[in-house]
Amino acid sequence: MLTKRFVLIVLAAAFFGGGTGSIRAQDAGALLDLLVKKKIITDQEAEEVRAELTKEVSTTSAGKWKLSTPITELELYGDIRLRYQYNGGRTADGTPVGAPGPGVAGVHDWQERERERYRLRLGLRGTLADDWFFGIRLETSASERSGNVTFGDDSSPSSPGGGGPFAKGNDGINVGQAYLGYKGFKDITLTGGKMPNPLVTTLMLWDPDINPEGLAEQWKHTFNFTFGGGESEAAPTYSKEGGKEVVAKQATGEPFKLKIDVFANFAQFVYDDSNPENPLGQRALVSSSAGSATQQNGQLIPHTDAFLLAWQVGARFTFPKNIYAQIAPTIYNYTGNGDTFNIHYQGGDPTLTNSASLAQNQTGINSLLVFDMPWEIGWKLGEIPMRLFGDFAVNLEADDRAAAAGHPGKGDQRYAYQIGAGIGQLKVKHDWQIDVWYQHSDQYALDPNLVDDDIFDGRLNMHGIGVRAGYALSDAVIFSLSYNYGWRADDALGTGGTPIAIGINPIDQYQWFVADLNIRF
Amino acid sequence: MKTKLATIIALTFVSAEAHADRLVIKGSDTLGAKLVPQLAEQFKSQHPGTTFDIAAEGSTTGIAAIIDGTAEIGMSSRRAKSSEVGAASAKGRNMKPTIVAYDGIAVIVNAKNPIKNLTRKQVEQIFTGDVTDWSAVGGAGGKISVYTRNTSSGTYSDFKELAMKKRDYAGSSQKMAGNEQIAAEVGRNPNGAGYVGMAYTKAGGVKVMSIDGATPSIKSVQDHSYPYWRPTFYYTNGEPSGLARQFLDFTISPGGQKIVAQVGFVPIK
Repeated sequence: MLTKRFVLIVLAAAFFGGGTGSIRAQDAGALLDLLVKKKIITDQEAEEVRAELTKEVSTTSAGKWKLSTPITELELYGDIRLRYQYNGGRTADGTPVGAPGPGVAGVHDWQERERERYRLRLGLRGTLADDWFFGIRLETSASERSGNVTFGDDSSPSSPGGGGPFAKGNDGINVGQAYLGYKGFKDITLTGGKMPNPLVTTLMLWDPDINPEGLAEQWKHTFNFTFGGGESEAAPTYSKEGGKEVVAKQATGEPFKLKIDVFANFAQFVYDDSNPENPLGQRALVSSSAGSATQQNGQLIPHTDAFLLAWQVGARFTFPKNIYAQIAPTIYNYTGNGDTFNIHYQGGDPTLTNSASLAQNQTGINSLLVFDMPWEIGWKLGEIPMRLFGDFAVNLEADDRAAAAGHPGKGDQRYAYQIGAGIGQLKVKHDWQIDVWYQHSDQYALDPNLVDDDIFDGRLNMHGIGVRAGYALSDAVIFSLSYNYGWRADDALGTGGTPIAIGINPIDQYQWFVADLNIRF
Repeated sequence: MKTKLATIIALTFVSAEAHADRLVIKGSDTLGAKLVPQLAEQFKSQHPGTTFDIAAEGSTTGIAAIIDGTAEIGMSSRRAKSSEVGAASAKGRNMKPTIVAYDGIAVIVNAKNPIKNLTRKQVEQIFTGDVTDWSAVGGAGGKISVYTRNTSSGTYSDFKELAMKKRDYAGSSQKMAGNEQIAAEVGRNPNGAGYVGMAYTKAGGVKVMSIDGATPSIKSVQDHSYPYWRPTFYYTNGEPSGLARQFLDFTISPGGQKIVAQVGFVPIK
């Protein structure tokens, strides 16, 4: 009995002093088995201790969580962010010229917004028996490109739920991610659902808030190479260890080690579901208002789903002394049209009034075959991480896209590129990081529905600079400031893309500033 | 009048005495199908007037009976789960386990099956469905028919933990109510594979596999060299008292353990 009490005290102190109860109890089980094997305690005593520990665990918070047996690992994670945000966009100095008024933007007139916002993301991801995994994430805001909720913007009586100060009409919780996958094949990860972006990307092409929907297949294999170096033959030097003479081996030098991660990512995203595929009676036609300037009036609305297909291959080379380089060339192809994105992209027109320019199609995905090549090179200066990064993209069908937009001579507006530099990193308390970059996106280069809306309001035909600086107040709390300033690239064209914050097209100049306090857990 | 009153009082005492000598035991089929009834018979011969109410419907029902207070002893061939212990605590009950015997879960195949030994990996593959044909584990060929216990069985969950790394049984597996049913089905089916407690390995037409060279025996279970050994329990609400105490003491006494060995279980000493 004394033995059992002693064992119980020791185990209780060891396993309830910290850590997760259920896991610690399993550890205790292994220890009890060992004590029985060593004949320090009997099986019966071990069972009594085990029962006491199980009882203790069952009364802890962790012990009250009941997880299904197939779950082998579960992680709760998320973040809460408070943000001050400024957006400003300036009208052009060409046509339309006129005093500011309804539907007519003035010359060099700034539209500005200031908002205080928050974002909550709460996720669960876990692994299951037999190499399956899953993840879900709940997010505020239903927008595909933002999780932000603006304070005080649902106070109008017409807001959902009746509005009023501090109303909850815009504080919805939405499913941001819901996916499952399988890792049972060597080096291969298969994922299906609404998932974190499986592709290597940059802000130039993909808003990081977007969680694409569909299927993804990822393959990654690591090759390790060692060149030269190593140990020499027994050298004629001796030393004494434990009273015996031993031969001290002498290294000729550090071997050169190279690690190459080769990867391939393939994705089949359902971009737009056509509903129904086979309607009763005659199929609907493109209305005159929707396709007025695209020569699509009266056309049958497509009845096929639209898919975004991605093929990406790449490699990351890791050299000694924390030097690395990564490149990930990718082809994006669009098939089908869907019933939402079938109108040809136009992207605005500086010769029209602002409202007419905005009314042009900003979301069409016609004639997009985009080759993209994100890259990054990194090294350490002393203990400080440094990196150069960038992206280059070209739409191989830009001639057709420009022609369909009514600008057949603008097929050369097909390129997008980004180049930047970063220093520091944000991992633990007191870490800091600064990134600076330049970005240029032609009007017919990219899919305007995917680009990061933080940069240039999610518009194309813009170029400019961005800077982001962050500091870790603690391991979990990051304070950061971000700013970007952009200019219209081609004055003969609009700035295509759905207005996110600024209702102007073309945007002649644009600036954006945010101050974020982000808590990660 | 006095005689009548005395009779009523006497009958009342008799009735109370009879109620006090009734022991309700619920739980494990492994323990309750053979061992505990034989222990009860022996105990009754030493304690005339004692009656037993034994229900052997799986370990889960035995543990639930202790939580609900519907039995004095809960037979179990597995340990109580954390959730069960928590539920008992919430009701002010204290799940106390007492090891009454050891058991080895024997993997059985049809007697005509030429295979004599399986590795632990092969056992896992067979019962999870990773392997579906006997030829994949050195047999003569034929689609493997897997027989398991039902989900309320302690043996069902013990075998998952001991032999299958907690993986799920093959979707095609057939769930049987008890050890005897599994032994009977495997004895009839040349491609059958199942598992039973050691006490049920004498059934006709079945053959016990050695696992990585170890066969289930008193010695291999007591020294824990057989991989699928396990303790079996009586669960009580704290320290038992009265008739439950007496029956538990009898079970682990030399006399009780002799019956344990006779039935085919492994004595604790």
